[in-house]
Amino acid sequence: MFGYVAANREKLNEDQEKYYKACYCGLCRTLGKEHGAKSRITLNYDMTFLVLILSSVYNIKVVEKGQERCVAHPLDKHDYWYNDITKYASDMNILLTYFNFLDDWEDDRSLLALGEAKVYHKEFEKVEKKYPEKTKLIKGKLKELSLIEKRGETNPDIPAESFGEILGEVFAYKKDEHESKLRDFGKALGKFIYIMDAVMDFKEDLKKERYNPLITVPSNMFKDILNILMADCTEVYESLNVVKDKELIENILYSGVWMKYELKKAKEKEKNHERSL
Amino acid sequence: MRDPYEVLGVSRDASDEEISKAYRKLAKKYHPDLNNGDDYSTKKMSEINNAYESIKNGTPFGGGYQQAYNSGYTGSGSFNFETVRKYIAVGQYIQALNILGNMRDRTAEWYYFSAVAHAGIGNRIMAVNHAQMAVNMDPSNDEYKRVLDLLQNRGRTYQQRSQTFGSFEDIGTMCVRFALLNMFCCWCC
Repeated sequence: MFGYVAANREKLNEDQEKYYKACYCGLCRTLGKEHGAKSRITLNYDMTFLVLILSSVYNIKVVEKGQERCVAHPLDKHDYWYNDITKYASDMNILLTYFNFLDDWEDDRSLLALGEAKVYHKEFEKVEKKYPEKTKLIKGKLKELSLIEKRGETNPDIPAESFGEILGEVFAYKKDEHESKLRDFGKALGKFIYIMDAVMDFKEDLKKERYNPLITVPSNMFKDILNILMADCTEVYESLNVVKDKELIENILYSGVWMKYELKKAKEKEKNHERSL
Repeated sequence: MRDPYEVLGVSRDASDEEISKAYRKLAKKYHPDLNNGDDYSTKKMSEINNAYESIKNGTPFGGGYQQAYNSGYTGSGSFNFETVRKYIAVGQYIQALNILGNMRDRTAEWYYFSAVAHAGIGNRIMAVNHAQMAVNMDPSNDEYKRVLDLLQNRGRTYQQRSQTFGSFEDIGTMCVRFALLNMFCCWCC
């Protein structure tokens, strides 16, 4: 479900790429400091995007900058930056990852997933204590989503909106004048992510006779639907009046979110081409 | 329309789980995506989808099917669409959808009203899906086309902006980056 909200690095200039990378590294470092080294592998780009957009909306001045070597890059030092938002994003990262592992355990009875969930349980409890309302709401929505999927809901808007509310809660950083718009933005982005994931899994789900919300929708409509959902998302984005990091953020929202999809399509095209030869 | 339980090959007292299982087995068999998109599978899939939805919604096809069939129920009349239109006009979309849900025949007009009602409550996907169905079933109707266009337009505007970022580069480098993206930390390239 995660990893779609990343930048299209081909289209970034050198400075933007360095900055984006340093944001990611700052989040990684913060995860390690707040939640232990093991939590660094749960890092995803979606939370990096969360740092960018919230830092922009709240106009946060970068708090810490530095250079370090890390486990993934033991040879060269690399830049990182982080601020208070990064701390919040690292907490949300733990929350979503924990629920994701639980979800995989429920769905596939994956022992690996159960094991992973247990490993992060302590950190999850720390975050739950810090954000009791958020955790409760997200838990509730995940349960609701699970029921919707179990009953085989054929209206894709329903599970998509349920998932959207989860991300909306994550983007609603504080109870203030920005909350409502950020929540709407998160909801719209979440709806897109859920449907994009369903599109990517569609054929596999069909073959394995698993639930897919798009099963009654003709697949030649998928691209249109995804465009409409991103249109909704970027409409709310425009209302946020983002100035800082605007280009990087728009790279992600207008281009980056399609990378996995385009890659899959290109691979399929090649496969079909090889077959016809 | 055939008896939906017959279409799915389940008994009348089948559990929800059995019904879903049967539906997905048939979907795997007949979905156009797994059958080179041929016409027969498309029609068959439509029949299967309608059967599944009517059982789940408990429409006259569903629980009350036998009764409705025996009493010679002829399905939706223009009276019902008038009511739907009135509800939509005053923004009572859920009521409109309830009435539509109880109608037997899924005509182009049915899909048109369904699309408008779904659009009203923000069900983007259902709206555009049903608008497309309406246009497919009655391509000569300008109003159906207008609604479909309206719904798709916002997506097109976004897509245009998206395309200004250019197409994605060659698969080779993308594949490598992708493999790394899925691993922890991919900045080694």
